[in-house]
Amino acid sequence: MDKTTCIVVGAGPAGSACALSLARKGIDTVLLERGRTPGEKKVSSFVLLMTELRRLIPDWEKDLPVERNIIRTDQAIFNGTDIKMITSYNYDKLKNPVYFSAFRRKFDEWFAKKAKEAGAELITGMTVTDLIMDNGRVVGVKIDDEELYADIVVGADGYHTKVGEKAGLVTEWDPARARLAVKEVLDLPPEVINERFQLSDGQGCDMGIIPYHFGELSIRSSTLYTNKDSISLAVFAHLGELKEKNIKLHDELEKFKEHPFIHKFIKGATLREYQAHIIPHGGRVNPENLYGDGVLLCGEAGGTTDTASGMGVPTCMTAGLMAAETIALAVKKKDFSADTLKNYLKFLDSTSILDMIYESKKTSDYWVDKGKLERPDCMAAIADSYNQYWNADYMSKDYHPLFLNLYLRVGKFFAPKLIRMIVTPILKGYSFYEKTVEKIKRKIRRRFYEWKKQYDN
Amino acid sequence: MSGKNSMTVDEKMSTVKIKIDKEAHITVNKELCKNCTDRPCLIICAAENYKWDEKSDDLVFNYEGCLECGACRLICPLNAISWSYPKHGCGVKFRFG
Repeated sequence: MDKTTCIVVGAGPAGSACALSLARKGIDTVLLERGRTPGEKKVSSFVLLMTELRRLIPDWEKDLPVERNIIRTDQAIFNGTDIKMITSYNYDKLKNPVYFSAFRRKFDEWFAKKAKEAGAELITGMTVTDLIMDNGRVVGVKIDDEELYADIVVGADGYHTKVGEKAGLVTEWDPARARLAVKEVLDLPPEVINERFQLSDGQGCDMGIIPYHFGELSIRSSTLYTNKDSISLAVFAHLGELKEKNIKLHDELEKFKEHPFIHKFIKGATLREYQAHIIPHGGRVNPENLYGDGVLLCGEAGGTTDTASGMGVPTCMTAGLMAAETIALAVKKKDFSADTLKNYLKFLDSTSILDMIYESKKTSDYWVDKGKLERPDCMAAIADSYNQYWNADYMSKDYHPLFLNLYLRVGKFFAPKLIRMIVTPILKGYSFYEKTVEKIKRKIRRRFYEWKKQYDN
Repeated sequence: MSGKNSMTVDEKMSTVKIKIDKEAHITVNKELCKNCTDRPCLIICAAENYKWDEKSDDLVFNYEGCLECGACRLICPLNAISWSYPKHGCGVKFRFG
């Protein structure tokens, strides 16, 4: 009977961070991965945030497999005929890189290798099919046809978690709380990318696109970012809405690619790889269900991703590190029951992860209940507020309000002081009237919201 | 499909490397599908693995071309689809995920 102290299921950012940290603490760890190499099962719209990793692996600069240093982030809002862009450059990031575009296949392999070098045993090409239970305690895992025993099992095996499911910790599989992503990696020569995105060598751009007023989906987002010699384009939509409206997301992606704004970036590119993935809403698991007798959950399995910002890799890494801290404590106490593992929540609370889980749950609730209705309106308001610059008709005489017009024309150019003395008080009176009406309106509105708040509670 | 330059899903799937498992990781209780009114699996699958055969009035699916997102499992209103990760290191192999 093979027995070890800790089994970590899944060599993604959470699992590898956990195994790396455990191995550094000198705890026997087996890291299991169902892919033949780590990362080959994973699809991300992957822009790597360095803050966590930098602390974990200080000499990352030597061999971290990255594509481009992201120094520019764009937000584009589609509104029917117009597109609004907010572009932000940060030239500080040339010296102190924070974001990188990268491929998960290479990154996950690199990260798992670091865990292996620290002393963890990495086994690939093995799928966990079941847990071995003893009186409600998790004591090991079944891998394909073999069995492996351990004091504690960490489930970091992604959205369709076997560990969480079999231990009875993950019960929610609600399609309304999951998004489908369809992604394409498109080949383009580096010079062409540099020219189209206005970048220099090694610099990258990450573009968030909100296609309001495009197609029939109300909640949908998209991202486009640069790799060394390719562009990644992904479209996300809620499973529930796709089902409701009977829309194929991959057809939407094709339509999207033909939009002139997108087409100018990807013109002439050939498809390198076609991908699809489920993106969970964060906060899927109640924090009380993140631990059990002999088992901990982290990463997508435990819902430690951020719904609001869409950030997954750094938050999962942090959760993995906190799982490792909890296990180190359990090893010290030689007690792997839920009572000791409860400290996981304390460790998570010492970071911002626990708050993030609650916030993500709230955000997720919002999407499910009201997001579908409210988001299009919000986007319309933002887009329309820019529209006034396009639609203002300065040539037309009736553009200015009547009184102001009168004052400008009569007061400034023709009328003597006397007329101005008559007109000015009228104007002031008019504005006084406007202000009073506005004040009353504001009061009513505030009362309404107070009432609504009470009503909602 | 719309547009002149767009590829079909089959053409797109030819860019994906998949090591085929002898054992199917998707099983469907096809009896339930006959009474299903929505059949959302037909539209949700990005690889278009689920098809409805009008002749035999039966669901036809192809587990070999699975991109492993698992959306079908979530979307199925009758829980007829059981989906799990493929074993023995088989299944999709993304090179640029």
